[in-house]
Amino acid sequence: MDFRSKQIVERLFRTEYGKLLATLTKLFGPSHIQLAEDMVQETLISALSSWSTGEIPANPTGWLVQVAKRKALNEIKRKHMMLRHHHIHISSHNSVEDIDAFFLDDEIKDSQLRMIFTCCHPALDKKSQIALILKTLCGFGVKEVAKALLSTESTMNKRLYRAKEKIRKAETPFIIPQGNELMEKLDTVGLSLYLLFNEGYNATDGESVIKKELCLEAIRLAKLLVDRYQDDHKLNALLALMCFHTARFDARIDDKGTIILFEDQDRSLWNKDLIHIGMGYLKKSLHDTGISAYHVEARIAAEHCLSSSFKETDWQVIHDHYLLLQKLKPNPIIQLNLAIIQSKLQGVKKSLSLLENITKNDDLKGYYLLPVTQGVFHMKLQDYRKARVFLEKSLTMGPSRKEIAFIQDKIKECKKMLPKD
Amino acid sequence: MQEFLLILKGDGMNHLSPNELQGILEDYKSWVGELGEDYLGGQRLEENGALLRSKNDAILTDGPFLESKEIIAGFFLIQAKNQKEANAIALSSPHLGLYSIEVRPIAFPKMS
Repeated sequence: MDFRSKQIVERLFRTEYGKLLATLTKLFGPSHIQLAEDMVQETLISALSSWSTGEIPANPTGWLVQVAKRKALNEIKRKHMMLRHHHIHISSHNSVEDIDAFFLDDEIKDSQLRMIFTCCHPALDKKSQIALILKTLCGFGVKEVAKALLSTESTMNKRLYRAKEKIRKAETPFIIPQGNELMEKLDTVGLSLYLLFNEGYNATDGESVIKKELCLEAIRLAKLLVDRYQDDHKLNALLALMCFHTARFDARIDDKGTIILFEDQDRSLWNKDLIHIGMGYLKKSLHDTGISAYHVEARIAAEHCLSSSFKETDWQVIHDHYLLLQKLKPNPIIQLNLAIIQSKLQGVKKSLSLLENITKNDDLKGYYLLPVTQGVFHMKLQDYRKARVFLEKSLTMGPSRKEIAFIQDKIKECKKMLPKD
Repeated sequence: MQEFLLILKGDGMNHLSPNELQGILEDYKSWVGELGEDYLGGQRLEENGALLRSKNDAILTDGPFLESKEIIAGFFLIQAKNQKEANAIALSSPHLGLYSIEVRPIAFPKMS
C-alpha cells in the first residue's frame, strides 16, 4: 500500500473547520454553537480514521462536507424526535436538498460573515471576541487560542464557555446587520480584527509561527469583509495596514529568534507582493468622507514600505502623519514615536530632550521602551555610560523574553566600549 | 498467527485541534502501512447507540452511557504471533496516549 501517495493541503482541517462550523451554526442557530462544534470535530475525526486506514479521497473537502451534511441530517432527525416532545423546532430544514443549499460556496462565505458579527456581540468583551473568532472562524484549538493570547488552557476554556453562554442567552439571531446598525457593527468588527492583528504583530513573546498565523487570519477575515463591503473605506484602510505590516513580519526577527531593529532590517526580506496588494487597498480606501486612524496608520506603514532604505525614508511625511494620528487617536505611545522621529529631523540630541520631557508623562512612566530608546540614543552619541544606566533600568520594567535578550545584547555592547572598572 | 482485537477506549481525539488532528494523520497512515498484512481491519464507533442490560430493562438509547474514559471509541483487528507481539503493536500505535488500548486475543483461532 502506498500510504504516502496523496498529501492533503496544509491546514486543510483548520480551514474546513471554520467553514463547516459557520455553516452548521447557520443551520442550527448560534445558541447551538457547541453542538455544531462537536459535529465538526466528529467529522474531522471520521476523516482521520477513514483516511488513515484507506485512501485519502480525491476531493477531501467534498468528503468532509458530505460527512458533515450526513451528521447534520441525522442530528436534525434525532432532535426533531426529541424536541417535538418539547414543542420546539430547532430547524425547519430537514430535506437533503435544503441542507445542500447551505454548503454552496457563497452561502459558506455568508455564514462566515454572520459568524464574525456573532463573535463581535456587544455583550462580549474584546478579549472574548478575539478568542471566539480564533476558536470558531480560524479553527484554533483551545490550547492554541490560549497560547496565542498568552493565557492558560483552563482560563481560555472558561472564557470561551462563558462567551458561548452569553450568545445563547442573548438569543442573538445569526444574521448580517443592515442599514445604520451595519455601519456601527462594522466598526466594532473592524476594531476586533485590528486587535486580533495586533495580538499577532505586537506581542514579542510566544511562538512567532503562531503570531504570524494570527496576522494572516486577521487579514483573511478582513478580506472577507472587504469583498462584501467593497466601498467601506475604513475596512479598506484597515486591510491595507495589515498587508503592509505583515509584509515586514519575517524581517523583524532573525534565525535565532532575536529582534532586529527596524533600521537594521533586511528590506529584501519584505514581501513585495503583499506591499503591492496593500497599496491597492490603500487606494480604494481614499474617499472624500474623511479619514480614520486606520488610514493614517496605513499611510505611515506605506511610507516605510515604499522607502528603498531606512536612510531614504521621508521622515517629515511620517512625522506629519503621526501628528494627525495623535489628533485622531490620542495615545501616549504616539508621543514617544514623535519624539523618536525627531532624531531623524533635528538630531538625536533634540530627540533625547523630548524623551526626557515624556518621562514626566504618567502613562509612559513604567513603559520599558522609553528607557530602551534613551539607552540606544545615548549609544548613538557614544555615551555608553549613560546608555548602560538607561538599558539596565529598562530591564526592571517588564520587557518580554525576546526583548530582554535584545537589551542585554546592547548592554554587552556598552560594556565593551567602557573602560574596565 | 493469532488474531487480536485492539479495543480503544476514551475520548482523546475530541480534545485535539484541527491542526493537531491533521498532524497525526500521517502517523496513523504510517502505522497502518507498517503493519501491512497484519492489519486486518478497524472501525470507529459513534458515541451514541443503545445499551441493553436485560430483557426486563427499559432500553437505554442515545448514549454515551459510560464515563468518557470507558467509552469504546473504536477497534482494530490485527494478527500477531502471540500476545507479546500484539502488545508491541499496540504500544507502537499513535492512538496510545489519546486512548487506552485493550489487547485481547480472539478466542477461536481460524481453521486454516
